[in-house]
This record gives sequence, C-alpha cells and structure tokens, in this order.
Amino acid sequence: MRLFTFQRAASVDEAIASGAGAAFLAGGTNLVDLMKIEVLNPERVLDVSRLDLAKIELREGALQIGALASNTAVAEHGDVRRAAPGLSEALLSGASPQLRNAATVGGNLLQRTRCAYYRDLGTRCNKREAGSGCDALDGWTRMHAILGVSDKCIAAHPSDMCVALYALDATVRVRGPAGEREIPIGELHLLPGDHPEREFSLQPAELITGVRVPIDALAARSRYVKVRDRQSYAFALASCAAAVQVEGGAVQAARFALGGVGTKPWRVPEAERSMQGRPATRETFARAAEIALRGATPRRDNAFKVELAKRTAVRGLMLSAGALS
Amino acid sequence: MDLPNRPCLLAFCRRAPRFEEAFRAELRALGAPLFAFAPGSGTVFGADDEPRDIGPHPELWRIHGAGRAALTVVLLDEKQRVRLRRDAPEAEGTLLAAVREAGRAVCAAPRGIGRRELLLNSLAAALGAAVLQACASARPVDDRKAVSGAPALLEVSLVVNGQRRRLQVEPRLVLLDALRENLGLTGAKKGCDMGQCGACTVIVDGQRVNSCLKLVAQLEGARVTTIEGLVQGGQLHPMQEAFLREDAFQCGYCTPGQILSAIALLQEGKPRDDDEIREGMSGNLCRCGAYPNIVAAIRGVAGRA
Repeated sequence: MRLFTFQRAASVDEAIASGAGAAFLAGGTNLVDLMKIEVLNPERVLDVSRLDLAKIELREGALQIGALASNTAVAEHGDVRRAAPGLSEALLSGASPQLRNAATVGGNLLQRTRCAYYRDLGTRCNKREAGSGCDALDGWTRMHAILGVSDKCIAAHPSDMCVALYALDATVRVRGPAGEREIPIGELHLLPGDHPEREFSLQPAELITGVRVPIDALAARSRYVKVRDRQSYAFALASCAAAVQVEGGAVQAARFALGGVGTKPWRVPEAERSMQGRPATRETFARAAEIALRGATPRRDNAFKVELAKRTAVRGLMLSAGALS
Repeated sequence: MDLPNRPCLLAFCRRAPRFEEAFRAELRALGAPLFAFAPGSGTVFGADDEPRDIGPHPELWRIHGAGRAALTVVLLDEKQRVRLRRDAPEAEGTLLAAVREAGRAVCAAPRGIGRRELLLNSLAAALGAAVLQACASARPVDDRKAVSGAPALLEVSLVVNGQRRRLQVEPRLVLLDALRENLGLTGAKKGCDMGQCGACTVIVDGQRVNSCLKLVAQLEGARVTTIEGLVQGGQLHPMQEAFLREDAFQCGYCTPGQILSAIALLQEGKPRDDDEIREGMSGNLCRCGAYPNIVAAIRGVAGRA
C-alpha cells in the first residue's frame, strides 16, 4: 500500500469541504482492498465512517437508506424485507457475512469491477490507467460483460445491490460543494465508451448521503435471482432483479435489471414495455429477455452468458410473477 | 535514478550507516542489489560492483514512509511492487542480520521452475524474520522524532479482549497486522490478506469482520475479540470445545477465523439447518476441506444453545 494521509471527517459539511482530491473511506472492503494491491492510490483518505448517515426508514412512500447503512443492516431490516424483498435478496446473495457487516450502501454504489486485468498491475487496463490499452479484450473473458462494452473496456459491473436498485428505480442522494442533488441510479454509472476511467457521474468532493427507493405494489413483489460458479460467495455470471405485477393473469407492470452481464446494471425499457398487458407466461417473459439481450457482443469465453442471462431473466420474472414457487 | 527491473532491496536509514567489509560479503551472496538511503545520501550495492554513490532520493523516501524508524527495509519485486516493508528500531546490525538471513534463504532455495517467485518469498520471509528478531531484542524506541516526509502517527485506543490498548499507528496499518505484530496476538491468521478467505475474522463491536481490510485508524474506541479472548476462567468457549470434539480442522490455519465466525453466526440468529450454517459460514474457506466437521461442530453448539 502506498502512503497516504488520513483524516477523520466530523460532519458531512467537513467531509465535503475537504473532500476534493481525497478518497472517502467507509467500510473499506473495496477501497482498502484496492489500495493494498495498489490499483487505487489516494494521497489523502478521508474517513467518513462515523458520520450520521446510517439510518434506514420508510418515509414519504419510499425507503430512505443512509449511505453508511451496512449491507447487513439493509438486508435484515424489516421494512426492506417487506417493501423491497428483491433488495434484501440481492444484498444477501453478495459477498460473505463478514464483508456485508463492513460494506456500506454508499461504497457498494461505487464498487469497482472485479475484472482480473483491472486488478493486475502487470497488465494493461484503460480503467486503471487511461489510454494504456486493455488486455482483457484478447484475454480470458469468461467473467466479462457482453452488454454496454466498448473496444476500450469489457469489465463487468460487480454489485448485486445496484442491480436491485436499478429494477426498483432508486435515486441516489449526493451532497457536494454546490449543494444537494438527486441522481437517478441509472445515471450514476457511466458506460465505458472511450473513457473507461470515468466511472461515475459524481463531481469532485460530492459525497453520497443516501438512497431513496420508491415503495409501491411492484417493489413489494421484487425478487433477485443470481447464477454463479458456486452456491455462495461468488460474483454473478448472470443475475436478475425483477418485479412483476399481475392482474387477472396479465402483466400490469414489470421492471427488471440484469447483473453480471453489463458494464453497468442493465435495464431495457423496451423489454419491460413488451410485457405490458400480456399473459404472465414464460413466453411473455422470454420475449422480454430476448429484447433485453439485443446487441449483446460476447467474446471468446463468455458467449454462454447470452443464453444464461435470458434464462436468468425469465426465472426472475416468473418468480416475481408468482409463476414459480 | 531508476530502479532495476528485477528484485531489489531498499533500506532507508535515519542516519547514514557505515558499511563494513563483512556487510558487503553478505550482500554478494544475496544476488539482488541493495539501495541504501539516508536523508542526505544514497548508495547502491550491486552483487559484484563496488558501492556507487547515487545521492538521496526524497521521492522514494516519501513513497515508502521512511524516517519514522531508524531503519525501514523494503523488498521490491521485478515490477517494483512492494513485497515486504518493515520498520526496525536499529539500523546497521538489523540490516546486516537481515541481509545475512536473506542470503541464506537464496542459497537454500531450490533451482528450477518458479524459482524467481520462490526466491522472492524466501527473501521476504527471511527479511521479515530478521527484522522482527531485531525488534524483539531492541529496547523500546523513545526517540520518536521523525524526519520530514515520514507519515504522521495516529493515536488509536482499542479494547482488545477486554483490555485497553493504546497504539501509535501509521495510517496504512490494518487491524490484522496490528493484532499480530504490534500486540503479539497471532491467533488471527493472514491467509489471502484481501478479504476473501476469512482466516483473519475477528469480532469488532459485536460484528464479525475481515481484520485484513480494517484500517486501525478507523477503529478508535472499538471493542475487538480475537480467539485469544474466548477462554473464560481457564475454560474453552463451547465453540472451541465443539471444534475439538468434532475434529473440525486438519492443519488448523483457518480455525481461529472459523470459530469466531461461527460464534458470531449463532449470535446473529439460529441457523435452521445445515444449509443455513453453510451459507452463514461461506466467508470462511478451509483448504483442508474440514467442512462437514465444521458444520457438525456448529450444529452441535446451535442445538444446545
């Protein structure tokens, strides 16, 4: 680990005032890991872990989740389990109990890719070092993305929580030198395009203070399905957060997002609209999955993800629709 | 001055050491160059060459956080990644001992495939051991005056196994290293050192965490329980008893982490079946594959609780 100066922020205002050029540190499960392998080398680390941002409450028709709420606290919270079960399931499907106890919602929103080339200083990576090239393109691509990729980067987005938050239409609350603003979660993560090193739409010194998850009948039906190489404690090969509302056998409303396959959690409004008014059957869901995977560009080792993602989507939608036990 | 594209040693000494002939002889056995820096000077010792003056290097000094201790030894690999970094309270004798140990390790390393990696690991182990030895025999350092560029030390007070411990730490120090190297509690094990294996699991403020990913600087006032803190009045913790009874380990390296994780699991709520035990213990890997017996041990304690 490279040397850095360490400061504790006593308040959100103080964190923002001295945040420019510093890395905000909360649970450390991602940042400290990446600092140890010298992928991230902040010169200044600002400890925000003691700020008063850990509350979770159901208020004004939404779950208001503080940025410092731990993954465990969110996943186990009664209101979350009742009002947005898919979010709880997504969190519990990620990492290990030890990591979930330390990891926070704010950190998870900014979780860095697990692309093996990003983590290996001996290889080229445009995300780690802008313009240096990408060794993943011709490398071992089994874990890489098939959607939202560019010829500069094919790194998959790693977070399970974010996939659920996409399907739940969450909003991210941030505060910075210019004040407070809300970012629709789909706009927080940037596609790699020509600049994979730019990952988030946050401005310098902007601090995530919380997440707002609108709660409605659809959110209460949300579920999360994750397919991986082993039963537990592995990143997704494909995952799906789905919420389907069925009335009289027909789909009234539906949303879903895919994980493990995109350079960011993947949501396709057209795929969701295609289910509207149709019978809540495997055929309807398969058609939506087909649309969601349009434009997928697999590489040598991850062609299987196209079919896997479709089936995972169907399974998630069926589960939420109550068509599976 | 560029560092070479092969393994090398860096030594940062608060005062420029005198390098006697004995030292240079040890260096020849090492086969890796040594770059020795003091605040106003720098010398490189190749394997065969005479020492060469290269002048001071404030940038390297800063990067490696040197100056706080009398000696900071750094081992770099061929890509100049840090493989080992240790502070010692005394410079010349420690460096001589470290280089001698490292030289022996190099001579003893077998030839063949993978030798470079093996060499690096032997070097790191030998250097680490020599520096620890020097730290153990040295008197506590009272000369805390650091030269400029050294990292500011942070005062942190923790309660470890019920005892208040005050530490002066570098910002980089993680809880696992503080427990093992500053406090002498070697029960928490270093496996992957990147939050994947769970061997370093301890309980912090009632929650199990990977101590390898927790900066001590963030833990002011925290209450930490390690495997050493489980015995009460000479009695093993029921989970320790259960691990013994069920033969829930082979080599034992992951066991302290398994036991602390298992205790926390039962505190979090009673697992309803073996599947829930396995899921709840998924953050603790056992490469001997003692899983069936680990699950049996936990099931036993859960059943009696």
